[in-house]
Amino acid sequence: MNTCARGLLIAIAFVACPLLALQAQLPIGRAALNGLDYPTIDFRPPIPDEYNVAGVPVLLLEDHALPLVSVYARFKGGYGLFGRESYAAGTALPSQIRYGGTKELSPDSVDKALEYYAIQTSFGGTGEALSANMNTLVQHLPAAMELWGAMLAEPAFDSTQVEIWRARQRESIRRRADNSGGLAFSEFNRLLYGDHPIGWEMEDTDLSPALLSSQSLAELHRRVVCRENLVLGLTGDMRWQDFRPLLEAFVRTLPVCEGTVPPSPIPDIREEPGVYLIEKDLEQSVIVMAHTTDVRLADDSSYYSATIGNLILGGGGFSSRILSRVRTEAGFAYSASSLWTMPRRYDGLLGAITRTSPENTIPAIELILETMEGLRTAPPEAGEIQTAVERIVNGFVFNFETPGRIVSRTMFYLAQDLPSDWLERYLNGIQRVTAEGIHDALARYLRPAEMMILIVGDPDRIGRDAIAALGPVTVLDIN
Amino acid sequence: MAALLWLLTPALASAQLSPGERLPVHSLTLRNGMRLVILPRSGAPTVSFVVQYGVGGVNERLGTTGIAHLLEHMLFKGTTTVGTRNVDAELALFPGMDAAHDSLVRARSSGNSATVHRLDQLIGELEDSARVFVEANEFDRILTRAGAQGLNATTTNGSTIYFVELPSNRTELWFALEADRLLNPVFREYYSERDVVTEERRMRVETSPGGVLYEAHLAAAFTMHPYGVPVVGYMADLEVLSRSDVETYYRRFYGPNNAVVAIVGDIDPDRVERWARDYLGPIPGGETPDAVTAVEPKQLGERRVVVEWDAEPALRIGWHVPAGVHDDAPTLAILTSLLTGGRTSRLHRRLVIEDQIAGGVFSSLGPGSRYPQLLQIDTSPLAPHTTEELERAIYEEIARLASDGPTPNELERVRNQIAAGSIRRMQSHLGLAFQLAESVSLFGDWTETFRFSAQLRAVTADDVQRMARLYLTQQNRTVATLVKKDGS
Repeated sequence: MNTCARGLLIAIAFVACPLLALQAQLPIGRAALNGLDYPTIDFRPPIPDEYNVAGVPVLLLEDHALPLVSVYARFKGGYGLFGRESYAAGTALPSQIRYGGTKELSPDSVDKALEYYAIQTSFGGTGEALSANMNTLVQHLPAAMELWGAMLAEPAFDSTQVEIWRARQRESIRRRADNSGGLAFSEFNRLLYGDHPIGWEMEDTDLSPALLSSQSLAELHRRVVCRENLVLGLTGDMRWQDFRPLLEAFVRTLPVCEGTVPPSPIPDIREEPGVYLIEKDLEQSVIVMAHTTDVRLADDSSYYSATIGNLILGGGGFSSRILSRVRTEAGFAYSASSLWTMPRRYDGLLGAITRTSPENTIPAIELILETMEGLRTAPPEAGEIQTAVERIVNGFVFNFETPGRIVSRTMFYLAQDLPSDWLERYLNGIQRVTAEGIHDALARYLRPAEMMILIVGDPDRIGRDAIAALGPVTVLDIN
Repeated sequence: MAALLWLLTPALASAQLSPGERLPVHSLTLRNGMRLVILPRSGAPTVSFVVQYGVGGVNERLGTTGIAHLLEHMLFKGTTTVGTRNVDAELALFPGMDAAHDSLVRARSSGNSATVHRLDQLIGELEDSARVFVEANEFDRILTRAGAQGLNATTTNGSTIYFVELPSNRTELWFALEADRLLNPVFREYYSERDVVTEERRMRVETSPGGVLYEAHLAAAFTMHPYGVPVVGYMADLEVLSRSDVETYYRRFYGPNNAVVAIVGDIDPDRVERWARDYLGPIPGGETPDAVTAVEPKQLGERRVVVEWDAEPALRIGWHVPAGVHDDAPTLAILTSLLTGGRTSRLHRRLVIEDQIAGGVFSSLGPGSRYPQLLQIDTSPLAPHTTEELERAIYEEIARLASDGPTPNELERVRNQIAAGSIRRMQSHLGLAFQLAESVSLFGDWTETFRFSAQLRAVTADDVQRMARLYLTQQNRTVATLVKKDGS
């Protein structure tokens, strides 16, 4: 439809009219929507092959599109499982496996070999696991496996590299307040989770030589990097019969575990609402708010209803209420979203995050709380539910976009003790949600009056009285 | 496997086409000047779309900085049919809002704060009254329901790039929406979106030590060329940009002749070509944008700028170097890799591992590649070490590289990584779409991005030495230092 054909509009539709001298031949915009046919996608997602090498589960998805191979290793055992005294060593372990050299190669020789063969590695950790990934041109796979395997199985934990890491951590502590967003999240976690690994922040005392040394790293390595803790994933331009001997050689270098890793500690999350303030002279405040919820990652209707409810609340970008109201309507913020964590084994958090100018800080908080209250008291609209469900259903193919994504996800299911057909169950569960179920979940779990709210910003510009009107205020001294 | 051949026999391989150049890309130029590159790929049924307009921060003037980026935001606001319940009623309210805004700008320049406040409220009320007719975020919602991933855009100094991924059976939907966006945009909710952009500036610059140092560094290094102006715009300009400024800018720069479209994924290229001709072909050609004629004069001596901030110290050093299309560009890219590309690089080894005076060190060429740019180094000291120590060590290493050149092993490591990188960069649909669009936009040829890899591998130690001596001089550099403000 050519809107410029309308009389009044000719004078005001300054943007569109000059370009409308010629019209597109096919319907466009809204006029096109009902006329388009979307052919059914005929796609069978590839399923990783499962193998076992000396007791180690292996997932393989061959992919011969490019001459590359990726290997993914996940070991049970992260910084959160061995107590605060191992926090620094647990946090340092992945990087020190990468940087600390091997029994046969100095750190410098490892660096040179990796760069010469253009091998990409990444070593990381969560509170519960250590991951080690490697990507190489297929022609270098034997050399890459040998080198990457030696880094994992026979790390030297060179003391100079440990000192470099310690110094960098101390500098990070010194710079913590430079990043207002990072500061807000770390303090928020500390307040809510206290002495649980989620609430820990690295301190100078964690970094003492008694707690972090080549020896403490070696001891922790022995507890984590062993066969029973390992799951392997492989993708790339290689067949199983060629992979197998390389994997067998690697697994043989790993010892049998001396014991099982401790279970993940259950957090005792602070329940008391309140307002916490970090005073900082900033042109933009950071706001984080949340309370606990007991929705867990599980194959049940509460989880699926909460997932859709969260997309409607603030997890669905521009299609969700928080961003629509805080950004689109009020212009208060560039980013604003809900925060709803649903861990597998313990309670999570439900809340929101945004950043805005000092003057709009209180109005933004009030708008978010009001938006939550609105969803708690009245059911979401049918169109909102449809958007959230279709987003997941129609975007489902992206779960299979790359072999690496498929294998990594399957490894995650194994680690979380989820069934191997979890993705199928998830899709079915999402499609079964009802308006009543979503409203029940939001009404039951959303408690805007019980939020713990943290503000990082300038109270004189925000308004001290207005902050106090939100609830009892505690000023946090970050020094 | 060509990658294997490169590594084993680089001299022989130079005459062959690289794997990238052998991709089955379909190129197409519509009669209105729009250029498309279409690449079918097997795998999951998804498709990536990138639309790159040759307009960005460099096309702005002082007083209207940030306009390219604000326009990028506005192009998600819908059209005459998408995002509205009654477009006529909406548009009828625009003149009143805009007139109030013009008055507000005049009141602000005369310091009449009471009037400014009153008019600001009036504009908000008028925009709220228009909102009754708005179907907020409908453009986003249509694509979200279609299963879209990563719907977004980015504005750089030289380009504005829109991108999204869709299930491949929604390919025609993208054409129907994108043609509409090009033809019929409506800049609704303008004033609240402008506020959103000011918040984005607060987040990226005004509360970020790195952001404020970067802005000060570019402003000192570029006195004439618009690379010295921040893409997000200055706050004072953002607060007065009018809707008509943005409309004018849109008409000047968003013609199809200034756009490159890259489509990569599980598609039938012939059908996509037909859709391109049918949906995008009828769009009339736009104006030919003015070229950027500003040329940064030769720097006549070292420049230094200090930013006092409530944060720990940081350092940026930039040397003027030619544009990305210049013959020296491959050598400069190699020089950058030798300085900071990986743990064996010169500066990482010296600053982080040997002297242990920095937490990390990074380098890049920028802020854009279309015009003469900077080779820039970014680092920060580990206390109690200082930015002065970092500078000394950096200059010593550069002098050593200029005097002795890189070793054969160093160059070989960099070349091998380039060879592997040229394979890895083909893993993602979206990544390839970005590369193809950028290559056509910058060089006019999609293959150039892959040929560049071959040029990189041909760089010699002598080339590196020559570039270091020519460009990395004291006279040619600008140094920006962030120092902790007293009392903070």
